[in-house]
Amino acid sequence: MERRVLITVARDEIAPRFDLATEALLLNISEGGEILQRKSFLLAHASGDELCDLALSRDIGVIVCGGIEEEYYHYLRWKRIDVIDAIMGPLERVVQRLADNRLRSGDILYDREAEHS
Amino acid sequence: MLKRIEELIGNDCPDLPSLLDGLPVGVALLDDAGRVLMLNKALEALTGYSRDEVRGMPCRHVLRSRACVQGCPHGRDDLPGAGVETDCINRHRRKIPVRITPVRVSDGNNRPVCVLDVVEDLTAMREIEARLSQATGQGQIVGRSPIMEKLLRLVPVIAQHDTPVLITGETGTGKDLLAESTHKASPRSREPFVRFSCGPMPPELLDAELFGRMLDGTAEFKPGRFQQAQGGTLYLSEIADLPLPQQMSLVRFLDEGVVLPLGASKTVRVNVRLMASTAESPERLVRAGQLREDLFHRIAAIRLHLPRLKERGEDLGFLLHHYLNHYAARFKKNIKGISPEALRLLCSHDFPGNVRELKNIMEFAAMVCTDDNIGIGHLPGHLPGLLESAPAKSRAATGRKSGRKHTEER
Repeated sequence: MERRVLITVARDEIAPRFDLATEALLLNISEGGEILQRKSFLLAHASGDELCDLALSRDIGVIVCGGIEEEYYHYLRWKRIDVIDAIMGPLERVVQRLADNRLRSGDILYDREAEHS
Repeated sequence: MLKRIEELIGNDCPDLPSLLDGLPVGVALLDDAGRVLMLNKALEALTGYSRDEVRGMPCRHVLRSRACVQGCPHGRDDLPGAGVETDCINRHRRKIPVRITPVRVSDGNNRPVCVLDVVEDLTAMREIEARLSQATGQGQIVGRSPIMEKLLRLVPVIAQHDTPVLITGETGTGKDLLAESTHKASPRSREPFVRFSCGPMPPELLDAELFGRMLDGTAEFKPGRFQQAQGGTLYLSEIADLPLPQQMSLVRFLDEGVVLPLGASKTVRVNVRLMASTAESPERLVRAGQLREDLFHRIAAIRLHLPRLKERGEDLGFLLHHYLNHYAARFKKNIKGISPEALRLLCSHDFPGNVRELKNIMEFAAMVCTDDNIGIGHLPGHLPGLLESAPAKSRAATGRKSGRKHTEER
């Protein structure tokens, strides 16, 4: 089944905080892990409420984000949206993990060696 | 540089981790690019991450503070010396108010070695602040009547936006309190709430007070109310008392977000939410030429009207008991209620001074009352019902005397 995923983005990485993200990436991922559609959204200002609205209006099934406040987390879960939170890492690695269906809450995808070089 | 820091942690200074672990506040040791080298135990508990898990990670992903995302101080030459009050979200999805103080560490040759982020958990302090604010009743507006409940439901909604607000209502209806409540419910609540009464004042002084001034002969700048309210809310009470040229400056601020300080050649951008109030009908003020129409239409983007106390239905009884309890507690009196006669007299009063007058009456009554109940004799003598009846007047005088005696004895 096709998955619709919304990722909160800051430049080329996952936004550290859901409520402070001003950019989001919408992905349609096929059952086989193929990215069918890729669409970026720019918000006029950072707002957790608007991101929730965006997710609901676009029929999103999964949200990928960094830190998220409990209130938003439970609201989204209540609306039957899966939340993969506490993700740290470059956007493209996160997208790849998603496509492979291997992304889990709390994953840290930065390359530690590269960070130190 | 990183090698030097690792030496500092690992070899040269083997006690550094245990030294930092012993501190009661959270400390993150960061390299010059803002990557985590170490978290002490207090910060591990606060963020929910262990130091090994997040070693080498950008600190914005570990602390996840508002300050990290909206204006990270790292990498800037001018690290703020004072702490920044902000909030962070930890691994357990808890939002925690914190103060982050970055401290740059240099070696003997003044070469930067690393940055220490000192993170203090302000949760307990915020709770105390909230309790104190409730105890003093500051910034709280109360009401049970449908008209007030409707208004109070609007406050948290209006508070979330930066749209200008105009509050109207007679004197004593609580305009200042409503403005402060709106500010306190807003995302700007940690920033200043500056109140300015637009009373008569020489225009030049008014310009300097509002917009700031460049001091003659020096490059020094004396901030005005707009600069003092930076990031927060500026509340102008009785806006129609402001002369028309200053009203024009407000129009410019509302359009462009800039003000021109006195003696300056360039405008200054300020981030302030503007609220204003007037006791008169703004339409009448516009017709009379006291309020610029263009300012009225801009400032009244959101308009809130506070009704007279007599129009607030059951609020009269509610506020009587609210203030009675408040002042009985303050004066340490065991007053249980109001006698039916006193209540009847108060309900028949017109309260031209609205809630402020009612509050003053209850303060006086609680002050002079030595019984279990507020009686007619404890009410101020100027109330029309008491002035009309001589016996009541004499009772009032007795009540006041007994109150004075009580005060003197104490």
